[in-house]
Amino acid sequence: MNTSFFVDVVFILLALFAVYTGWRVFRTDSMVRASFFLLLSFITVGAIMLLLSAMYLGVAMFFMMGVEMMVMALFMVMFMMNPAGLNPMMMVHQHKLSIGAGIASFVILAAMALLSRFPVQPLPAGLEPVSSLGNELLGDSMLIFESAGVVLLATMIGVVVLSSQRGRFGSAQEGSMPPGLEPGGEPAGMPEEDSGAGGHHHGH
Amino acid sequence: MAVSWLSRLAARGPATVFPALGMQGEEAFYQLALHPEIELVDSPRHASLLLVAGGVPPELHEPLRRVHDQLPAPFTTLWYQSEPLLELQQAGVVRVDSLEALPDALVDAHRKVLRGELGVSPRLLVDEPPNPWRGLGDDGHGGEGMMGGVPYGRPMAMPPTQDLRDGLALDTLTFRLGPFFPLWPAGLEAEVILQGDIVQQFSVQSRPFPRAMSPVFFDAWEHAMSIARLERARVQYHLRALFHALHLAGLPDLAWRALRLAEACDRQTITALEKGFKDFERCLKRRGFFALHLPTCGTLNTEHAEALGGFAARAAGIEGDARRDDEGYRRLGFSAISQQAGDTQSRWRQRLAEVAQSLTLAARAQQNDAVTATTGVVETPRGVWRDERPGDASALLEKLLPGLEWGEALATIASLDVAGVSQWARP
Amino acid sequence: MILDQLIWPLLLVFATLGGGVYLLAVLDGLAARSFGLPQAQSVWLLPLSRGAWLLSQQANVTEAPDWWGWRLAPALYLTLAAIGLALVPWSRDWVATDITTSLVLWGSVEALATVVIFLQGWSANTHLALIGAYRYVALGLSYILISMFVLIGVTLPAESLALTQVVASQQELWNVLRQPLGLPLFLIVGLSITFRGPFNLADSTDLAGGTSVEVSGPQRLVWEFARSAMLVAFSGIATTAFLGGWLGPWLPGPLWVMLKMLAVLAILAWLGRWFARITPERCISLMWLALLPLSFIDLIWAGVEALL
Repeated sequence: MNTSFFVDVVFILLALFAVYTGWRVFRTDSMVRASFFLLLSFITVGAIMLLLSAMYLGVAMFFMMGVEMMVMALFMVMFMMNPAGLNPMMMVHQHKLSIGAGIASFVILAAMALLSRFPVQPLPAGLEPVSSLGNELLGDSMLIFESAGVVLLATMIGVVVLSSQRGRFGSAQEGSMPPGLEPGGEPAGMPEEDSGAGGHHHGH
Repeated sequence: MAVSWLSRLAARGPATVFPALGMQGEEAFYQLALHPEIELVDSPRHASLLLVAGGVPPELHEPLRRVHDQLPAPFTTLWYQSEPLLELQQAGVVRVDSLEALPDALVDAHRKVLRGELGVSPRLLVDEPPNPWRGLGDDGHGGEGMMGGVPYGRPMAMPPTQDLRDGLALDTLTFRLGPFFPLWPAGLEAEVILQGDIVQQFSVQSRPFPRAMSPVFFDAWEHAMSIARLERARVQYHLRALFHALHLAGLPDLAWRALRLAEACDRQTITALEKGFKDFERCLKRRGFFALHLPTCGTLNTEHAEALGGFAARAAGIEGDARRDDEGYRRLGFSAISQQAGDTQSRWRQRLAEVAQSLTLAARAQQNDAVTATTGVVETPRGVWRDERPGDASALLEKLLPGLEWGEALATIASLDVAGVSQWARP
Repeated sequence: MILDQLIWPLLLVFATLGGGVYLLAVLDGLAARSFGLPQAQSVWLLPLSRGAWLLSQQANVTEAPDWWGWRLAPALYLTLAAIGLALVPWSRDWVATDITTSLVLWGSVEALATVVIFLQGWSANTHLALIGAYRYVALGLSYILISMFVLIGVTLPAESLALTQVVASQQELWNVLRQPLGLPLFLIVGLSITFRGPFNLADSTDLAGGTSVEVSGPQRLVWEFARSAMLVAFSGIATTAFLGGWLGPWLPGPLWVMLKMLAVLAILAWLGRWFARITPERCISLMWLALLPLSFIDLIWAGVEALL
């Protein structure tokens, strides 16, 4: 391995920053700040990928993680019962167990990274990362990626449909019951009376 | 050295003023909005000068102190036709009582503030948070859900809250927007509950100050009045309301043009006004004021429209106009115009159509020197004045605004005129 | 060689950032004057005196903001704008950042800009700023999609994601003529991402300044500077992707780039002042029902043209 000294220093700094911001995700007291610390950690990992000459994957990491963490932070503001996500709140449970699990997995993964022997496969000269990635996506692995894309699209449409308040037979507020088989009769195809959805509950 | 060069450069710029309007303070506001060297800003943080125009009643002194403390140093306060707060009188604040001297006083104060001639800007309130930030229990876990109590004084958003639209129910955000908010009538204070950016609840805490109308309407109630003068005053009223709506729409140059037309209403000839207004109306349509900005929401139902009266009722299809019963108007060939949908867009179309109609009537009235025939009833731009002046209608907002997006809600408030008519005429 | 590869392009980037922002402010003042709004001073002095005034003001505090996020957000936005401008090739050899995936880096600049604008509004811990921030984010996804499709259309004739190759592919014909839908869509997206003019839903008047309602002093100066810098970077990318970058007779490459950027900035400044602000409902309908299908058509057009 004959990487230059400068690259080594940058790699170590980025790695330390990634671990630090990852730790801060759990120690901060606001969900929005947690999302943005996670974003910083991912951006640092993307920068490390750029150091590994994965030009497309590293930059795509910035792109994707930016939008994902932004949507997550927005969901925190929208749904977390915490006005604007700025009120101090403690978000971790079972402290001892989680700290133990975190340290254990860090030690195991670090041991795997440092002690295993990676094969020596230098990059071929004249590698074009973007076109080789494109050939892979639309060549050998086309079925995987296209089906994954269609499944994602179906999930997105399903989420929008499920969260709509307009049921098939009317608004969800009024129970959205289908009409009866005779006029004024019982709703068709419905099971016996079931209790209404639980009312007031404090969720986590 | 560099600091003084910088502050000299800054002093040459426009004077940034935050107008805190009290009772009868709008006249100063409209004069200053036309002045090129004065910039009226919407947030106290963006200003160097606080102008308190018009009397502030004692119950609003606490909000005034909070607004005062929001201005960033260096700043100073100017009081126009208003008694300065007791704490400030020792600091030697400037009180101006004449409208002609006000712009120069503001520019002068701006220069003095930037050159550092006025010393330390006083702060009126203690620099401590008014509500405790800790929730109940350790880590704020006591009480309801994951946080206890009311940290920062903010009520928690407890589920389930009914959302007025599709999808998952968003948390609620409750806040109060105060009497000196520049984007709605002065004096209106409301507690707003938002889910996302949709208004869920709008409760009026303090009604807007009554607005002073032109003395022409008061005279017309008592005796016969020249129709040309009456219609000119009506045009001026609607154009001034249009200024606020255009400022809200992000069209500052058209807002300035509307206000200039309004100021020219007393002086210019009718033909010049008509031509100017026709160009202006064409510009409004081309710049997307109706197509892009004005929403088709905020519809008044029949009962509300009848209670409100005036142009809002006519925009909702109720054809009531006291000018129809006046012999002087009938001779000029007056016929009431109305729209069908009672929403924000049609209210503005109605107002612009009424301005055009008023200008035509004034042109005809000027030829014949026509006067009104009946007294004791006047069709003011705000509504009909028979035995009582048109009153405050801010309770209507509590029913009209829920379900509207925030920008649409403000546009709806700007299209209505909820403030009542003051018993004193404009000086 | 270090002079050519590093010093000159970086100097050009910094000069364009400073000069471009100033010239954009002047163009905005000229546009306002042409619409009849009287200005307090001459258009050349007004940006300077406003900047000096903002520097002399105190940077205020709110009750309990997120300090790091609030104070850093304008600087981060400026950094993103500088990164975007660094991707622009000034001539055949002068590029500050020449990577093979520069268009994807520009896409990530747009995505991270959304994060930073949200941070500016949310960190202030006040209601009007928060509404401005999440209103912007709710609409931001639509803009990014359209911009990405339009830029992918531009990469097809170039057969590369690098902006240098995109300029090289415009030797015979500029992309503004080859893909006529591209530049208008990209300009609309530019106005939306820098929330300017008709698409100003983040710092709008109906929120008394939106995300900057509580910001004053030097922080506000850096924020306004960063907004204009982002628009300058946008015009740089538009020039490179659609108007042929440094291609042109007689004049040296960098001068052509700056002239074309100035033209794009003038159009954007004028458009920003002309239209009224659109409501969020209509904005979403416009983006998803009109502009997104148009960007698909643009992409199909570019694909068909690349096949022929």
